[in-house]
Amino acid sequence: MKKNTYIRKILIGTPLIFIIVLGLIFVDVYDSRPILNLFKKTQSDSALQLVDYSVDKPASSKAMPAVNPERNAYFGDVHVHTKYSFDAYVFGVTASPDDAYNYAKGQGISHPLGYEMKLREPLDFYSVTDHGFYMGMIQAYADTSTDISQEDFAKPFNNLNRPENLNVESAAERSNIFSSVLANAIIQPNPWWHPDTLKAWFTKNTQRALNSFDYDIHKSAWSDIARSANEHNDPGHFTAFIGYEFTTSTDTEGGNLHRNVIFNSSIASIRPWTRIDSLNPEDLWTWQDGLRDKGIDTISMPHNSNGSNGQMFEMETFKGNAINRAYAEKRMRNEPIVEITQVKGTSDTHPLLSPDDEWADFEIMDKRVGSRPPTYSKPSGSYVRQAYQDGLTLDFTKQGNPYKFGLIGSTDTHTGAGSFDESNYWSKVGLLDGRPSNRGSVPLNQAQGKLLEEYMSAFNQPVSTVELDQGSYANTGFTQWGASGLAGAWAEENTRDSIFKAFKRKETFATTGSRIAVRFFAGYDLSSIDLNADSLVSEAYAKGVTMGSDLMNEGNKAPDFLVWAQRDKNGAALQRIQIIKGWIDMNSGTPHEEVYDVACSDGMSVDPISNRCPDNGARVNINDCSISQDAGASELKTVWNDPDFDSSAKSFYYVRVLENPTCRWSTWDAIKAGFKPREDLHETIQERAWSSPIWYVPAPSDITVIPLGGSIAIGDS
Amino acid sequence: MKAKISIFFSIGLLVYLIDIGLNPDDNAKNIYISDQEITSLISAWKSQVGRNPTEDEIARIINNLIEEEILYREALLLGLDKEDRIIKRRLAQKITFLKQETLTDKPSNEALINFYELNKNNYYIQPTFSFTHYYFSAENNSKARSNAAIKLILSSSSKIKSDPFFLGKNFIDKTKDEISRNFGKIFSSNFNEISLDQWSGPFKSSFGHHIVLLKDSKPGYFPLITEVLNQVEVDLLAAQKESAVTTYIDQIKSEYKIIINPDLEF
Repeated sequence: MKKNTYIRKILIGTPLIFIIVLGLIFVDVYDSRPILNLFKKTQSDSALQLVDYSVDKPASSKAMPAVNPERNAYFGDVHVHTKYSFDAYVFGVTASPDDAYNYAKGQGISHPLGYEMKLREPLDFYSVTDHGFYMGMIQAYADTSTDISQEDFAKPFNNLNRPENLNVESAAERSNIFSSVLANAIIQPNPWWHPDTLKAWFTKNTQRALNSFDYDIHKSAWSDIARSANEHNDPGHFTAFIGYEFTTSTDTEGGNLHRNVIFNSSIASIRPWTRIDSLNPEDLWTWQDGLRDKGIDTISMPHNSNGSNGQMFEMETFKGNAINRAYAEKRMRNEPIVEITQVKGTSDTHPLLSPDDEWADFEIMDKRVGSRPPTYSKPSGSYVRQAYQDGLTLDFTKQGNPYKFGLIGSTDTHTGAGSFDESNYWSKVGLLDGRPSNRGSVPLNQAQGKLLEEYMSAFNQPVSTVELDQGSYANTGFTQWGASGLAGAWAEENTRDSIFKAFKRKETFATTGSRIAVRFFAGYDLSSIDLNADSLVSEAYAKGVTMGSDLMNEGNKAPDFLVWAQRDKNGAALQRIQIIKGWIDMNSGTPHEEVYDVACSDGMSVDPISNRCPDNGARVNINDCSISQDAGASELKTVWNDPDFDSSAKSFYYVRVLENPTCRWSTWDAIKAGFKPREDLHETIQERAWSSPIWYVPAPSDITVIPLGGSIAIGDS
Repeated sequence: MKAKISIFFSIGLLVYLIDIGLNPDDNAKNIYISDQEITSLISAWKSQVGRNPTEDEIARIINNLIEEEILYREALLLGLDKEDRIIKRRLAQKITFLKQETLTDKPSNEALINFYELNKNNYYIQPTFSFTHYYFSAENNSKARSNAAIKLILSSSSKIKSDPFFLGKNFIDKTKDEISRNFGKIFSSNFNEISLDQWSGPFKSSFGHHIVLLKDSKPGYFPLITEVLNQVEVDLLAAQKESAVTTYIDQIKSEYKIIINPDLEF
């Protein structure tokens, strides 16, 4: 009897439960996911938790300098890695954020190979931007006193940077760890039922689910970075931003989508938002928007678009959808500026994209970042000038302009210390390129060559030496890197707030390491300004707009452009100022570009037909790198009118200032070691500066644009 | 009689040898685990997991401890600690920390004053200068124009035709280093001789020539120790930490004889 009731219960109960579950699942397949959302209500977002990292420090005894309403040019580097970056530590770097900030303030610090790195002149601002991804973890694996270092996956890192292992010969071990161990062994998730996995889900913190991850170590690295920035921030004299790098890429092609994020505050999130949270930059912007809602402003700055295989500045979104206005606005809200130049090459333009620009072949790095073996990166979609043009085209088809950004440079050094000077160059990845023979500027000796070959074949990589006149050279891609990247900002004073605001309004410029400074204005009455009057700058601000701004159409008048550049007193004299114009044909959206010389050195004038300055005769002596002392300008200024101005065309104008030629770092390396410069590399370069553009906005056009396919999702409203 | 004694003696010896043979070096095989060690492991467990370990888990913790100790001792017996860089480094680290930690935390007033006196130059407040200037661009005959301008301005006060300077006209409370950063070292080196409230120059800079009116100059000075006490204390502690290890090494070094192959080729 009892047995029967049980069976009955089971017979009725089982299908009943089955039907209920089925019902719930059925309800939940709709887009709104009502049931799943019930669970989601229990989630908290750890990445939006804020922490005040301020430090108590003795008040500065120095007086606060006066605010300059006409703004000062401040120079800095907002892309610096220290030992907390997973790769920097593998590269032998032991410099801490404190070391990095001390370097920026003018102190010497030690390179992993033992020599001193020191700036000729201190910088005005600096930001340590370690990779958010696995921040601090590798260092903990290496320190054998931590518990986590005793795990299997941590073993290869144990005492990696012990002093006797800081040598070039450990490069093989290091590169191998970098690519294989990191890519596979470490990123193993715990099983779904593991407490850490559940914690990860409930706090939207995916990385906690990873077997090799320790959240406390991660947080303590991040808080040390934030503390260091706050400790070194010295309002009026030196600005330090809390920052990190969001190191993402496209999945299959490995297109580089790296961005640096900096905070305008001593308060920051409890952890950086990283590629483990999402590979999609749009999710980064959503997080930034979330922080902004909580009163913390951040900007993210893309870099190395040159190594993105055309994916940094695509005509579609990360997921392959059409770009629309909401996307464009969200991107511009969070990414007002882009790093145009750094150690890993310059992303102004490429000779294939700008065949008529004689200066386009400059520090081109044509490999995808971090690819193995170094793989070709497609130029289209990878360079800034084309992005500006594509932005106009997207705007033409009413999709909004997601590429209306200003420009800065920075180094991306991984040693804590930026390398800006061609004659005193240490590249950026520590032990891997800290010696001339390793970066391919002087021949390898036999033992080094053999080591490199063995190592390459051991890891199934192509031959990476090249036989030239003077012997066998390393050819691992470091020859395409260079001493580059400074950020310039026009700000009222050297404070976090003032410089951050300059970034936001794009009143910024980029240089290749030289401290060239450039002013740039556009307006309809700038020709009335006396270029020799002290009131020049205040009048230009009053009568025009400056770099990073829009110049609105005013009765179809042709605008005047005022540009003024000053040389780096420790660098070469200036050769010329150019204005680079890009525009689209308003009947078809076809992009065009033109490079105009607008001011020449040595009292010469521009040829109106070729738009070029005559040769000023400046030369470099390749035997000792000495340069002509009697050619070039200490400053150049002019007011310029566009001879081909079309008041109906959407256009942009940005300045490029060129120095007289000087020796490239590879030439300096070779000469110092008693060799001739390598014949397949550029012997000289022209250091340069770029301003952020000024966009000319014509009166609204009445042409109806209907893209074929007629998507209504884009819309006009 | 003699034989009996020697028999007894031999038996005693035999028993003793057997005893040694069966239980060699008794103490060396004891593993003592202190209460402290266990309680600290349990509290570490508690803070990680959020509850007390069960009896099973305690057993496992202790068992791990025992196994680790056994492996460690066996490794020592096999001499695996010899010539191991990781172990060397770790021990060197330990003694470094030890030497650094034995410092007294709060330096005495006397020590602070001594340190300040020794490192006075680090706390020197640089002299500052406030000035205005006329700039003559190197692009436009700067030497001749600036020479004419200084004569003009010293004879009458008529208006001077000059060029706008990229970095502005008036400079307030700038140290010599800051002036060097803006104008170059050649220019800033003149500031020791310039007299107040009088047009001077022309002076060459990296960008041309300037005539300068020095409005104010504040001499440099050594601040009272009370003004910079915090900083002095921070610096002294840092210096002590740094020197603790080096003085220790210096003391000990003389006891060592260091032998390096003089013919080693790099």
